[in-house]
Amino acid sequence: MLMKTSMETDLMRLDCVGISLGASSFGPFSLQVVPGERVAILGPSGAGKSTLLKLMSREWKPASGQVFFKGQTLTTWNLSDLSRHRAVLPQSSDVAFGLQTDLVVGLGRVARAHDPQLPDIVEACATLAHATHLLGRRFDTLSGGEQARVQLARVFAQLWDAHDGLILVDEPLAALDPGLQFDLLDSLDTYASTRNHALVAILHDINQAMLGFDRLLLVKDGKLVDDLPCSQQAVPALESLYSISLSCVTDIQGSLVITPMRKAVRRLSAAGAIA
Amino acid sequence: MNALVLKLPPYLQIKRVRPATLLVAALLLGVAVAIQGGAVSVTGSDWLSILGLGEQQGGAGGAYVLWNIRLPRVFFAVLVGASMGLAGALTQGLFRNPLADPGLLGVSAGAACAAALTIVVFSGLNLPMPISWRVWLLPAAAFGGALGVCFTLDRIARWITPGSIAGLLLTGVALNALAAAVIGLCTYLATDEQLRSLSFWTLGSLAGGNWALVALLAALLLFAWWRVRQLVRAMNALALGESAAAHVGVDVRHLRSHIIVLVAVLAGFSVAWCGMIGFVGLIAAHLVRTWVGADQRQVVPMSMLTGGLLLLVADTFARTIAIPAEIPVGIFTALLGSPFFLFLLRGARGRIG
Repeated sequence: MLMKTSMETDLMRLDCVGISLGASSFGPFSLQVVPGERVAILGPSGAGKSTLLKLMSREWKPASGQVFFKGQTLTTWNLSDLSRHRAVLPQSSDVAFGLQTDLVVGLGRVARAHDPQLPDIVEACATLAHATHLLGRRFDTLSGGEQARVQLARVFAQLWDAHDGLILVDEPLAALDPGLQFDLLDSLDTYASTRNHALVAILHDINQAMLGFDRLLLVKDGKLVDDLPCSQQAVPALESLYSISLSCVTDIQGSLVITPMRKAVRRLSAAGAIA
Repeated sequence: MNALVLKLPPYLQIKRVRPATLLVAALLLGVAVAIQGGAVSVTGSDWLSILGLGEQQGGAGGAYVLWNIRLPRVFFAVLVGASMGLAGALTQGLFRNPLADPGLLGVSAGAACAAALTIVVFSGLNLPMPISWRVWLLPAAAFGGALGVCFTLDRIARWITPGSIAGLLLTGVALNALAAAVIGLCTYLATDEQLRSLSFWTLGSLAGGNWALVALLAALLLFAWWRVRQLVRAMNALALGESAAAHVGVDVRHLRSHIIVLVAVLAGFSVAWCGMIGFVGLIAAHLVRTWVGADQRQVVPMSMLTGGLLLLVADTFARTIAIPAEIPVGIFTALLGSPFFLFLLRGARGRIG
């Protein structure tokens, strides 16, 4: 009975999921994502954040443990059905042959055989992703930031008429300028909250995670080291995650601003060298 | 000022001509020209005669040439070209790469290699076999060879250098060299009679065209076209990369194996009946892509039309340029195609690696 209720409330559940890639092994990861939740995955480079996301997106099959999505084992989902409930925004965005951008956005809905509203949806998604002016251009002539907007619009199109879905985002914003990062995260947030889609994103910016997300998953050395809500209480865990000291300030608007501090040891020795 | 603008009635307004319409028109024109051109001239009475309206029933002279040689040859050229254009477009879509082509990647060479082995080794074994099967032996062997190379390419190129253009083309170079070596060995071991058949494959010619082959190839092409129509939408998604294509709901493994089998069928059968005719698929798909854009739903059907037109033009030149002699069309397409390929490489500068 308890099992059943947990399956109904969870959107995705990972039970001791592990995978080995070459010499390094990742996991076991055990976690839940509930509908409409916003989860940020943080961790140092090479910690296994992308691996975790790939296990959640079914790109890689787990060697041990099981992933459940909407109460059903992820590997038993039909790919086309799955694509109507789960979208992935990849890290790199290479499109062969220089397809037209509106075609790329429409490809989010390629699994639907009959889709009469496609042109309207493409238009609306492009508007939401700040990419309307890019429609009709060749994808390979766009800059990195413009490509990210088109890919985001594609993800929007994929789950446009779905509810309680899951969006997985693999640090697509790292290479973009701060203004654009903010805009795109904002539209992603709006899009997900109006449809009650859960959002799981790999991020590098602690402040972005603290501001726009509900929960933090901290990954280090292939393990899930912490799973905690976004609040000031998370700061010590973040300090040990990145092995740095963090200073917390509350800005005029009342939101928490976290900045890394130089290591005290280094500063002392530098001062000593001057003296 | 406005009053001076000529107002045409709606039926005279020039609409934007669709590229496909233009291609079909060019193809029809090409067929008409190709039928008229040749060592034996064709007159109006020959046409009436083969339609059963003229005086010389049964056909003699020009009418005989028209019905038994010229017409099947022309249709055969169009159909073989169309299947090469289709195979080229499918290969490029599969490998996400505008430089991929069954000829360059060794698929045609693999088919020719299997055909050569069949001619030299298999016929030496003297196996008891019904005569009616022999017609199918070469096409089946060529198909097997093409399929083998396709799967090897798919495996090796992804295993050594996933996603790299250079890795794919180098694997193709290696497979081409291997196939050439086996064909060379067969040539060395062949008897005089076998040698004749072999040189047919290495040069490539459409002289073997007859009505039976035309009907067979047309049926094959229709089948391939029917399958491809179901795949083109998913093939567009393949341009996003394999993992992204899977994320939007495309069963990539299923799609890949279907495309591979289709390419092997198209390339294998055209090699079995015409030998190695290179570059048609590469050029056709490339021309279409620069013309109408990269949407596979347009690239694939139009590559078929363009391939048919290209090979028809090449074959018409090959058989009329030195009347009464005939240059093998494979030599002709390679002469024109190789510089074109170098031209493409120039455009791909900086993207290879």
